[in-house]
Amino acid sequence: MPVKVLILEDNPVARSFLCRVVRESFTDANQITQAGDLLSARKHIALTGGAQGLHGEDPFKLILVDLELPDGNGMELLSELRRYPATKIVTTLYSDDEHLFPALQCGADGYLLKEDRFEVLVEELQKIVRGQPPLSPAIARRLLTHFRSGAGGGGGGSDSQAPDSGFVGTSGFSTSRPLPMDTAPEIERLTPRETEVLTYLSKGFTIKEIASLMGIKWFTVNDHIKSIYKKLNVSSRAEAAVLASKRGLV
Amino acid sequence: MSAPAATSPPERLGPDSAFEPDAPDPPRSHAVPNRMGPAQRSGLAALALLVCMGVFLLARQLAAAPWIEAHWRANAVGAVVLNTSPLPALAALDGVMLVSVGSASVGTLEPDALVLQPMPRWQVSDLRRLRQDSQQQTLAALLGQGNVQLSWADGSVVTLAPTARGLAGLGLPFFAFSALALALIALGASVLLTRPQPRNALYLLLCLVQAGQLMFVATGTLPGLGAALLPGPGALLGPLALDAMGAAAAVHVLMLHPRRQPHARWVAAGVWTLALAWWCLAWLAPPPGLWWWAQALALACAAAAWWLAGRSYGTEPNPFARLMQQATALVAAGLVVVTALVALASRWPDTAAAAATLGAWAWCLMPSGLLLAAPFVSRSRQVLRDAGLLAVATVIAGALHLLFMASLSLGRASSLLLAAAFGALVYLSARRWALAHITGRHALGAERAFEQLYRAARDLQLHPGRYSQMLEQLLRDLFQPREVVQARCQGTQARVVGAGAALEVPLRGNARRSQGQPGRALMLRFAGDGQRLFTDDDARLADRLVEQLRRAGAYDRAVERGRSEERQRIAQDLHDDIGARLLTLMYQAQTPAMEEYIRLTLKDLKTLTRGLAAGEHRLSDAAGEWKADLSQRLAAAQMHLLWTFQHDSDLNLSMVQWSALTRVLRELVSNALQHAQASHVSVHIDLAGPVLLLRVADDGRGRAPETWAHGLGLGGVRKRVKLIDGEVTWREQVPQGIVCEVRVAGFAPPVT
Repeated sequence: MPVKVLILEDNPVARSFLCRVVRESFTDANQITQAGDLLSARKHIALTGGAQGLHGEDPFKLILVDLELPDGNGMELLSELRRYPATKIVTTLYSDDEHLFPALQCGADGYLLKEDRFEVLVEELQKIVRGQPPLSPAIARRLLTHFRSGAGGGGGGSDSQAPDSGFVGTSGFSTSRPLPMDTAPEIERLTPRETEVLTYLSKGFTIKEIASLMGIKWFTVNDHIKSIYKKLNVSSRAEAAVLASKRGLV
Repeated sequence: MSAPAATSPPERLGPDSAFEPDAPDPPRSHAVPNRMGPAQRSGLAALALLVCMGVFLLARQLAAAPWIEAHWRANAVGAVVLNTSPLPALAALDGVMLVSVGSASVGTLEPDALVLQPMPRWQVSDLRRLRQDSQQQTLAALLGQGNVQLSWADGSVVTLAPTARGLAGLGLPFFAFSALALALIALGASVLLTRPQPRNALYLLLCLVQAGQLMFVATGTLPGLGAALLPGPGALLGPLALDAMGAAAAVHVLMLHPRRQPHARWVAAGVWTLALAWWCLAWLAPPPGLWWWAQALALACAAAAWWLAGRSYGTEPNPFARLMQQATALVAAGLVVVTALVALASRWPDTAAAAATLGAWAWCLMPSGLLLAAPFVSRSRQVLRDAGLLAVATVIAGALHLLFMASLSLGRASSLLLAAAFGALVYLSARRWALAHITGRHALGAERAFEQLYRAARDLQLHPGRYSQMLEQLLRDLFQPREVVQARCQGTQARVVGAGAALEVPLRGNARRSQGQPGRALMLRFAGDGQRLFTDDDARLADRLVEQLRRAGAYDRAVERGRSEERQRIAQDLHDDIGARLLTLMYQAQTPAMEEYIRLTLKDLKTLTRGLAAGEHRLSDAAGEWKADLSQRLAAAQMHLLWTFQHDSDLNLSMVQWSALTRVLRELVSNALQHAQASHVSVHIDLAGPVLLLRVADDGRGRAPETWAHGLGLGGVRKRVKLIDGEVTWREQVPQGIVCEVRVAGFAPPVT
């Protein structure tokens, strides 16, 4: 049975390039659906049973989503597809945490940087599908902050401002932190090992280096990363629920 | 003794002047009525009523006393000459000498100049004082019994019936002195009522004593030929008693204020005993040369007060003590001048009366002025300074007046005019000099303050967390206080505390403060290294400084926000438009080399836009990203990365630093990747103190770096290193390879 893949990308050249990457990555005969904007992507998904994906028709197994689209942001689709049983990957030119982290919070299972070389992309894609998503130092830092402030309750620990600083500080344009969790007891906390892995990742160590530093196997490091992703998704979902109930949507 | 420099204490803080920052409301001015409770206010009102009634009764009694309405003067031989008189009987006798006053029942008085001068306290010679006393008594008896006969030098005899003075006959000076006395008593009472303390009771006592002196002088200013209020020993012993009390109280108060001196109680008891003993001696067995004794003792007391204030300042550099010392010295000098003048003028009968009057006036006006000013010194230094100058100028003018009359034989009016003109000249020039002297320092201070403010605002932009240190430094430079402590405060505005000893500057008027919680404040004690009192002007200046600093900060933040928004917009446009095009171009590249070139260009573009958009990068965070990036690139080329990163301290990289280092690293590693065919690349980053060292070494086949053509790549490295004021060198490595070293000496800002 062919693997169904959806590629959402507005640039035709990039789209065909990604198609090549997908074909190269999976030897199974795969059936690639291409979409140039959110509207047609939603249409394709509806054909396979809707965003909830519970009809079991024949859902997509892999969805590549570009963030910058002519009729909106790919993140909208990602949040619609929270329960869709596919591996969702963000493809983007933005490698900074400002753009990637919200996407991961929306339920993406990993990200690919479009400017990477073909071989690199193939390898990365395979890794993500195998459950070894990438984690850049900047995103690792964001994750650490996210879980620390979430666990701290109300983000109290994030106040790095000196107690007597006369003014509010020049943080007008600093990173927009994820909303602190103050009413979500179900928030997942990181284990000490996971925090350690994240800390090493934030310092730029590779998986192999972390494995040898921590005295564990490299696939154990990968397991930790996978678990961190999962916890991020869970906590983001809880956060979304809290937000929704606050806005009276639920 | 007599009232010396009656140094007055405005009330103070605690039991000693050790200053309590947490005191709920250290008194600034007791004279501000709204600080008083209703009980105090009604007490003050009752007292004012009482004193007014006393003055009124005195005025009534004086108004009922008989007099002969005429203006008299003394001539060179000490006889009484009629100046003018509104009485018709005396109309033709202007300028004629009065020979005798007599009546059938009492007898005859042959008056001399002494009869015009009813203040025995200011009679230098004992003999003349006795004569004055007997003349005054006889005159009182004559005027009291009905018609008197006035015999004149031209032979004429006029019979007159003395009339009651009436209130109008009391003369303007009487009412002026009475008003001053009332003001003194009211001030002293309000000080005590606001803060009932022993030292404030002493202040009130000093005020009462001075008020008494003023009233004595006031009764001495009555015009015309009339009986003194207190004929006999009372006219002498009254002022002497007041002098003694004033001196003792002044010494006593300086033992307690501004700082309690050791053995204050015993010294005070001794001084009071001495004063009492002196007065008893003057009453029962007056020593010869009584006036000289009185003056000497008064000056001794002034000297003692001066010494005490100096010692108090030595113990604790409270500028109030210093001010008191200076004021005491000024008053003591004034008293010496007055004493010398009166002594000198007593040789000539025609000037003796005027000199005695002037001496008496100066004698009680100088300490009274000091007493009046003392509670307000921190409020209006300028008024005090002007009053002091005015007093000095008046004394000089008076002295000159006497001198002119005595030595140059000028007429009274012309001498007075000349002396007044000279006094005004002295006052104006001295004032001008004082203003230039004082404001000169201030102008310098203002200039320096601007410079400091500017620097502080810039520093604040770099280190927003160091606001309080910055403000403290600024205030230190401006006011040069002896010490600065942190304290709690309620208000949002700077204020003078402890009558000018300290200045409380709230750190900021923030939200916490408005919620009624005590905020924090800087408490500056003893301005000008203890030389100067804080004034309300200083408080307002401090407020303005805080406000300016806050505004500078807000302005910087607004500018930074605007710039950041603008940068982000540019970054977004660049990234989205150029980035997407480059990406398309890259996918369609014909050769791998072209593809790689475009990829690096794209990466550079991303570095550029990220540098534009992001505010700041921690060095450690950036190092992590560099390492991850290089690891990935080298791993893809089957090369090993040896990475070391050491730093003494972490710091925020500026945009220029971050983007320069990022691109230098990328370029150097690209070099190793493309040209060197190395198997290992080592990157070493070390921040030791302010010096950043970046070393990239490979084990490739590169040789003789000095012969390399510096194309786009190496030229770019040089350019970026230069941007951050660093140096870059390439050299060969043993056994093979090239090492490139980037050294930036002033990378980290100096630790302050």
